[in-house]
Amino acid sequence: MNSFKIAWRSIQQRGFGSLLTIVSMSLGVTMVVAVLTIHGVVSQSFRANNSFGYNIIVGARGGGLQLTLNSVYYLSKPVENIPYEYYLAFCDKETRARDLKNSIAYHAKETVDETMGLTSPILPGSAGIGAALSDALIKDAFDFQQTSAMKLNERGLYKRYTHIAVPLCQGDYYVDPETQLAFRCVGTTPNFFTDLVLDIDSNKKFEFAEGRNFVEKSEENGLFECVVGSIVADRCDIKLGDKLQATHGDPNSSSAHIHEQDYTVVGIIEGTGTPNDRVVFLNMEGFFLMEDHAKTIEKDGVLKTEDDLDEEPQDEVMIDPLDDSFFDDEGDAPETIDDSPAAATDQTIAETPALSEEDEFARKQNATRIPLPIEQREVTSILVRTSLSDEVGAIGYFLPGQINEGDLETTLDWTSYRPERSQKAAQAVNPVMEVASLFQVFVDPIRWLLLGLTCMICIVSALSILVGIYNSMNQRKHEIAVMRALGANRTRVMSIILCESVLLALMGGSLGWFLGHSLNGVLGPSVEDSTGVALGFFDFAPAVDISVLTLGFIPDSFINASVSPELLVIPGLMLLAVVVGIYPAISAYRTDVSKSLGK
Amino acid sequence: MLKLHQIKKSFVQPDKQRVPILDIPEFEIAPGEQVILIGPSGCGKTTMLHTIAGITHPDSGKVFLDNVELTRYSESARDRIRANKLGYVFQTFNLLPGFSAYENVILGMTFASKKRSPERARTLLDRVGLGHRLNNKPHQLSVGEQQRVAVARALANRPSLLLADEPTANVDPGNQQQIIDLIKSSCETEKIALLMVTHSMEVAEQFERVERLDQLNLVVGDAKAKPSENTTAQQPTP
Repeated sequence: MNSFKIAWRSIQQRGFGSLLTIVSMSLGVTMVVAVLTIHGVVSQSFRANNSFGYNIIVGARGGGLQLTLNSVYYLSKPVENIPYEYYLAFCDKETRARDLKNSIAYHAKETVDETMGLTSPILPGSAGIGAALSDALIKDAFDFQQTSAMKLNERGLYKRYTHIAVPLCQGDYYVDPETQLAFRCVGTTPNFFTDLVLDIDSNKKFEFAEGRNFVEKSEENGLFECVVGSIVADRCDIKLGDKLQATHGDPNSSSAHIHEQDYTVVGIIEGTGTPNDRVVFLNMEGFFLMEDHAKTIEKDGVLKTEDDLDEEPQDEVMIDPLDDSFFDDEGDAPETIDDSPAAATDQTIAETPALSEEDEFARKQNATRIPLPIEQREVTSILVRTSLSDEVGAIGYFLPGQINEGDLETTLDWTSYRPERSQKAAQAVNPVMEVASLFQVFVDPIRWLLLGLTCMICIVSALSILVGIYNSMNQRKHEIAVMRALGANRTRVMSIILCESVLLALMGGSLGWFLGHSLNGVLGPSVEDSTGVALGFFDFAPAVDISVLTLGFIPDSFINASVSPELLVIPGLMLLAVVVGIYPAISAYRTDVSKSLGK
Repeated sequence: MLKLHQIKKSFVQPDKQRVPILDIPEFEIAPGEQVILIGPSGCGKTTMLHTIAGITHPDSGKVFLDNVELTRYSESARDRIRANKLGYVFQTFNLLPGFSAYENVILGMTFASKKRSPERARTLLDRVGLGHRLNNKPHQLSVGEQQRVAVARALANRPSLLLADEPTANVDPGNQQQIIDLIKSSCETEKIALLMVTHSMEVAEQFERVERLDQLNLVVGDAKAKPSENTTAQQPTP
């Protein structure tokens, strides 16, 4: 019968008192474990997400932290949207040329060119063919020629500083019809999954558990392909080939409505342990074509000032590229779909001479599902990785400064169909610095405060061990004397008391550890819903450098290692138990056997 | 196998006065011999037993147990010797309340250097008539049963000497003789020397050698009286 068994018997003998001591200790440990794991997992996830391979986020001017939280962690609501031209400023000339050619202004120029058969530059006041070419159209064509057309073959303003640029469009949600679970929809380009990395150090990329990445335009699904995160697929039982419909706006809002357009699931991402697992990624080209996603334009295509609007009757038309019925009053839509620009233009001029070019463009777009013109596009944010050749990261510092000074607004090549030209100001933030600032200013101090409080609770619980054992010493002096009379030496009885203290701490600590992780399992879904970070029973506090754990008392140069702080909780408790058990153990050591036997 | 030589022991009272308790010139017990020690209250019987057991260290003098001078050793060594060579039956049984009868007997073996023998524990409890009460805690046993467990515990390590301090004082008259017979027969069977303290004349009369502590101990008795060395029973003076 060893000391532990004798101690265990003693604990059993004082059953209720021992139970209270254990429960008291376990409550303190529960909170310590919960604080350590929740903070550790959440901060690790936040910091991990910062190594996705981009170092600048461009978005609407407002809170930099909100922009970061929204763009990286899909938290909170988007600040605002910014014109699509901002994205083009980071693109290469091929992308710019493709998109600029997909603008109303460029189409106007093409129409004028083809109609007039001109090869020379267009000048304002040039005679058109009948009434088919309005002065406004000619003006727009001239404007485009002066501005965008001259830069059609140039790369974006900041392309030379850019390695990767990925646009994000937010505002929609996917609500599963059966479970009513809501997940964010993000419109983006295929390079979100090909160019961005999960970990910049290891260059680990996204992988697909099933299917493939979406493409901008596929033969079978057109512009409406999507990829879902692993958690979305799992919780909503989504499979490849399923059709999803996005909800415009917050699902809890009364103004939310479901888009009619179906998206086809072509890929399911392998779990990444990041907020991306909880997102439905839509092809951005199709995202723009959904209801309420296109910016409105003036019917005449002329930029109207406020004074003009006051003088003239409002004749603004909301052009819905998907709405065939818009053209019912003004002529028949083509019976066959011919997406060649020339054929469409010919048909339009021959059959519906009353339609303006922009209306014709919109109709053709609807019929052929061509991408939305850039004048009607906005993005929520742009994820930018600056040039890899910049080893010191200087670009990552000076470029945001340029953008925040308003450089984009004053130098972008706007087309005349952008009504809010230069009115929306952009900002650029470094997400790592924003998150670091968040942690430094708020999260870490709160963490230390909570840890301090929970450790004090553990100390109080440990003192309860001391009180419990010490109070029992008076009753147990006789028992100790008997054991001494049976041959136990002083050290042995002392060790029995210390064993008892350690056993109580161990049981309290083990129960507390279990309860702490159970609490994580219970709170996990709520934490996940709020922060996008997965947290469960089996998640442990991430390893931390020993120098950090010891607040610098043990420097890295002495011991360069990391350990999960959770692993130190129970050993720490046992040490605390030995400390609080010393006094009653000494009392047992000094028991006068003769006197105590007589009692 | 036991010899006391010039043992003196005193205690310090709260008023710092030193009060002598023992002054024993000589005392011996042969191997296997059974001796009763009788004397008035306060004459130092328990102190003498404690001194023999090594629980208390005498102020001067020597205690020999199996030719080993106990008084030369440190306290922890004496504890070890006590665990291996001595058995002790207390007046108030002193069973540990949180342990069953079986575990109390095992406890008697725990602190010895000999290997614990669970089988011996069961055998002893069987011998004392409690083989069917192994798992009962002391509060579930009668007074007589508790004392029998205490006797089994004292015999667990096959001691050389069994010390019994008024083992029947708190036992009902019906069980007293059983306890005495149990102790006597166990010691005879296992050739264990016995030193029993008692107030009872009826108990003393059952043993061949009876010593009066007031004759052994110069503090309380006649210094000229010497301990009996023969094996014939002596009638003590009431």
